[in-house]
Amino acid sequence: MNMIPNLGINFLGIELKNPVLTASGTFGYGYEAEDLIPLKKLGGIITKTITLHPRFGNPQPRIVEVESGLLNTIGLQNIGVMSFIDEPLDRLSKIGVPIIVSIAGNTEKEYREIAKILNMQNNSIISAVELNLSCPNLRKKPICHNLSLMQNIIKGVKKILKIPIIAKLSPLVADIPRLALAAQNVGANAVTLTNTYPAVAINVKNFTPKLSTINGGMSGSCIKPMSIYHVYNAYQRIKIPIVGCGGIMTGEDAIEFMLAGASVVSVGSASLVSPKNLIKIINEIEFILKCKSIKSIKEVIGIVNSKILK
Amino acid sequence: MNKKFDKNYKIISNVKVHGNYFELKIKAPITVKHCHPGQFFMLSIPNVFLRRPISIHNIKKNTIIFLYKVIGDGTRNLSKIKSGKIQLLGPLGNSYYDLNFVPSSQKINNKSCNFSPIIIAGGTGIVSLYFLAINLNTRGTIYYGVYSEKDLLCLEKFKKIGWKIIISTEDGSQGYKGYITDILHKDLRNDNTLFVCGPASMLKKVSQIAKEKNINGFASLEEKMACGIGNCQGCVVKVKGQNKRVCRDGTIFRIEDIDL
Ligand SMILES: Cc1cc2nc3c(=O)[nH]c(=O)nc-3n(C[C@H](O)[C@H](O)[C@H](O)COP(=O)(O)OP(=O)(O)OC[C@H]3O[C@@H](n4cnc5c(N)ncnc54)[C@H](O)[C@@H]3O)c2cc1C
Ligand SMILES: Cc1cc2nc3c(=O)[nH]c(=O)nc-3n(C[C@H](O)[C@H](O)[C@H](O)COP(=O)(O)O)c2cc1C
Ligand code: FES
Repeated sequence: MNMIPNLGINFLGIELKNPVLTASGTFGYGYEAEDLIPLKKLGGIITKTITLHPRFGNPQPRIVEVESGLLNTIGLQNIGVMSFIDEPLDRLSKIGVPIIVSIAGNTEKEYREIAKILNMQNNSIISAVELNLSCPNLRKKPICHNLSLMQNIIKGVKKILKIPIIAKLSPLVADIPRLALAAQNVGANAVTLTNTYPAVAINVKNFTPKLSTINGGMSGSCIKPMSIYHVYNAYQRIKIPIVGCGGIMTGEDAIEFMLAGASVVSVGSASLVSPKNLIKIINEIEFILKCKSIKSIKEVIGIVNSKILK
Repeated sequence: MNKKFDKNYKIISNVKVHGNYFELKIKAPITVKHCHPGQFFMLSIPNVFLRRPISIHNIKKNTIIFLYKVIGDGTRNLSKIKSGKIQLLGPLGNSYYDLNFVPSSQKINNKSCNFSPIIIAGGTGIVSLYFLAINLNTRGTIYYGVYSEKDLLCLEKFKKIGWKIIISTEDGSQGYKGYITDILHKDLRNDNTLFVCGPASMLKKVSQIAKEKNINGFASLEEKMACGIGNCQGCVVKVKGQNKRVCRDGTIFRIEDIDL
């Protein structure tokens, strides 16, 4: 029991202290919780999705709690890429953990424009870019519903950026492994599985929808098994690493994603409940590995999947 | 930047005050020093996913006192905890101390208060405004609107500190029958400073009146919250045409700035 397991992982050439990243949109621009937890302990930070121009987001109500989770309709409120590189990025660079910037656009061109602006920054600040291809807010349908559009966006951004790019996919597609494969084929370096699940909640007291936009995205414990399903099935089809995401509340949940095939995980709703949960998850992963006498976190990636494949 | 904590505290008591209203007392020796009027905490409650925002009602020595109404699952589960520990995140949000008074530049906690405060409270909005009132070092008038007599809180407490109380109930069971904003109008002078907390419809009316009469004031807003610390943008409202997070940039804003 005295052995200290190695939680470090090389993800897309980035050295992470541990596999726990913050999920986009649930950790602000990255430093709002700096007085509550030691940000240095995180594996990495994925920032709020930024767009070319600032966005005001959706009207209230934007949040509603459901059984074991929540629905949100923030509407990609953000300060736009120019303001982002002015202040938040500078502050983020001082934290000392890898920074992954999440971006989204209405069109392929917008994705490229943002990539160009990010590309002009000091290369060492941004470790990777996550393409939010799954947000239902910008267009009527998530971009990843249109396979060729999604592929063009990845190709376009890939040509501009030298750093790795991660495609974040929506769970609302007929065949996630096929989509992930399509992303891989045009050069995505990793995929994040998955974003929130489309959902509706209605108030029976006054017969009105609980969110201003009626439709929202579901996150939290309630989506975990569905996201693990997507990770498990995609792992069998693709070679690029997977960022597992959806309902991770504990170290056990994180390991579950990794056993199914995720190389790293991103944690959203749990950190809204308490930013301390991020640190708790990291400590619990270490504890579980210790108990199982596993020397390195790398050993658990996909082992359930590989066993079954054999 | 105000200091905040995310930790477990010992519950001293959690008892029914009357009807659906409960008072929770927790022991928080260090945290109390950082608690100011207008601030709130996010309370971890068993068997619900998100934490629940509840205002600071009072601080007595090492004790933080909350006063809350049972509304749904969260507050119901909270009311059932009788002892042990509870995890709180806070104090959160700005306080009345953070806001600079214009035209008089004095801080709200100055010994000599030369403005005449008017508190306008709707429902549980009174909870946080009481903590303000006892820190004001001056007396004022409270306009207090509730649905029914049985929703009236803190009356004795306000009397004790010498405040004049004007009540309205929607069902007419006590005081004026109707909305508190119906009777507020005629009594206001422009040397008043308004402090208002309550439902959106009430804030809207009060801000209209304040604008018409050119009266200074502050409104404490409530929105659904997921994180309470500014990370999710769930609680955002328009203030002077800009997006502001109620939990972090507020909850208190200048009344003339809010766009309801
Ligand atoms: C800054 C702030 C301070 C507050 N202070 C107090 C207080 O001192 N005393 C008190 O009795 N109440 C207070 N409230 C309201 C209190 O937070 C809600 O009554 C409580 O969250 C209801 O939770 P529930 O699970 O019992 O009800 P449900 O209606 O089942 O809650 C469902 C969801 O809606 C949210 N919600 C419901 N009502 C409100 C509301 N009015 N404001 C914000 N979110 C809401 C809940 O947090 C939860 O996420 C405050 C709200 C805010 C935003
Ligand atoms: C309030 C909120 C805001 C979010 N904003 C974004 C966003 O801007 N970009 C994005 O890619 N995902 C966003 N997400 C999705 C999360 O990154 C994550 O994929 C999802 O919540 C599932 O993980 P979880 O169950 O751990 O929260 C948001 C989620 C929430 C709850
Ligand atoms: S509740 Fe999350 S930003 Fe205010």
